[in-house]
Amino acid sequence: MYRSIFYKEWLKIRWALALFLLLGLIVLGNIFLNVRYGVRFMDAHDYWYRIIIQGANYAASLKYIPLLAGLGLAIAQYFPEIVSQRIKLTFHLPIRENKVLLIQHGFGLVCLLAVFATYLLVFIIGSAVYFPPEIIHMMLTTILPWFLGGLAAYSLAALIMLEPLWLYRVLYAVIAYGFVTQFYIRVVPLAYTKVLWVFALMAVITVIVILFSGYRFRKGEMHHG
Amino acid sequence: MYAIECNNLTHYYGKKLVYENLSFKVGEGKILGLLGKNGAGKSTTINIMNGFLHPTAGECLIYGENSQHLTPATKEKIGFLIEGHIQYAFMNVHQIEKFYSGCYSRWNSEPYWELLSKLQVTPTQKISRMSCGQRSQVALGLILAQDPQLLVLDDFSMGLDPGYRRLFIDYLREYAKANNKTVFVTSHIIQDMERLIDDVLIMDYNRILAQQPVEEFMEKFCQYEIVLENPDMEFPETDLAVNIEQINDKVSFYGYQDISAVKGFLSGQGIAIRSIEEKEMNLEDAFIGLTGMY
Repeated sequence: MYRSIFYKEWLKIRWALALFLLLGLIVLGNIFLNVRYGVRFMDAHDYWYRIIIQGANYAASLKYIPLLAGLGLAIAQYFPEIVSQRIKLTFHLPIRENKVLLIQHGFGLVCLLAVFATYLLVFIIGSAVYFPPEIIHMMLTTILPWFLGGLAAYSLAALIMLEPLWLYRVLYAVIAYGFVTQFYIRVVPLAYTKVLWVFALMAVITVIVILFSGYRFRKGEMHHG
Repeated sequence: MYAIECNNLTHYYGKKLVYENLSFKVGEGKILGLLGKNGAGKSTTINIMNGFLHPTAGECLIYGENSQHLTPATKEKIGFLIEGHIQYAFMNVHQIEKFYSGCYSRWNSEPYWELLSKLQVTPTQKISRMSCGQRSQVALGLILAQDPQLLVLDDFSMGLDPGYRRLFIDYLREYAKANNKTVFVTSHIIQDMERLIDDVLIMDYNRILAQQPVEEFMEKFCQYEIVLENPDMEFPETDLAVNIEQINDKVSFYGYQDISAVKGFLSGQGIAIRSIEEKEMNLEDAFIGLTGMY
């Protein structure tokens, strides 16, 4: 059963995953081309000064890529389920309804994490060519909330898409916008260091909210709209 | 134990009553057709039966389990065809068979490939690119391969041309009878039902009009065509008729009475007639006669 569910989810998201993986790698490639240009062809001392003292963020163009990947993956995974209420087919499978939702959402989450891990790995390797570990650590702490925001956006988009009533969708979207924006307020390095665990907790909590939309669908809320 | 047992189902959409205290049972091995006009509550009933709608009151049991909380073991016994033959349209015929085969322990792909061999589809053709008729065969083939005990088919004839409807019905009936399957089916096209069902359940707004074996219903329910002497006369209402349709001097009188009782009523009321004749009906005529045209 699990293999079948993974297979179905994979068929839905594989192209979106490849697309966002490629997009992230292009952006990262662009980031390091700029860093290379800054270090080699401009004044390297001046470039370092801007990063260390002035707090310039050389990874700024990566900021919304995890968010886009999270939203794109949620659309690829859940849009086919809500067209013609195909989620009924999923709920009809011989497995508990909450369990099947968590399995398919968990699979999407693991795939998204794999894409993010690839981004981070490339980012670390690329950064290691030009910067000492201290700067890499500082930058990772700075960009991590963007990735947590991408994870939260993925789960919240799933909640919104599976919600049966448009009115509630709009309401959730407004709340989700306010929630996810918190992950992207500052670009300054180390701005979020002390509250990183709060962001992580926020992202983790959003993972299970999809169950609420599933419950409302099975209760038949769409028929009362 | 019954395959389906709905007890005192009551449902409201907001303040609008769909039905109150609706009760019916479907025995194992029966093919039951649920007929009703648009808005009579067919989809509401199907949604409650499949756990996609909580009824305002009452319960629906599937093999003794409340349909709102079916265990995986019971869900495995139910094959569900969603209105419009909805399936995972992003898959092709091989992918969808591979997906479902891992979900059901009794999976037997033979009937699926047998049905699909009749279609002009390529192995990599996505379901979204198939015609409505082809999709219906994919959806039916998947249900047959699942080998469920109970098949719930919601408006299976929607969008199908006559050839595919006939193929669907003949295949389904043969399968259900050969394997002692229970089938609960709704359709807008009632003439199809006559070839398929054993029992009929006819719903009108808020109530059940008839639930019995279709042969018994067709035998007992009658239509008399009466031609009045006076075309301006308004035919009186009577408890003998479940429905009366009048166009000028022609009156269609529907009910469960034999012709002598109707003649007795006419003479008792002093209604002058030119003729009275019992008309042959098919299931569609009987349905319209029972529920009225409007």
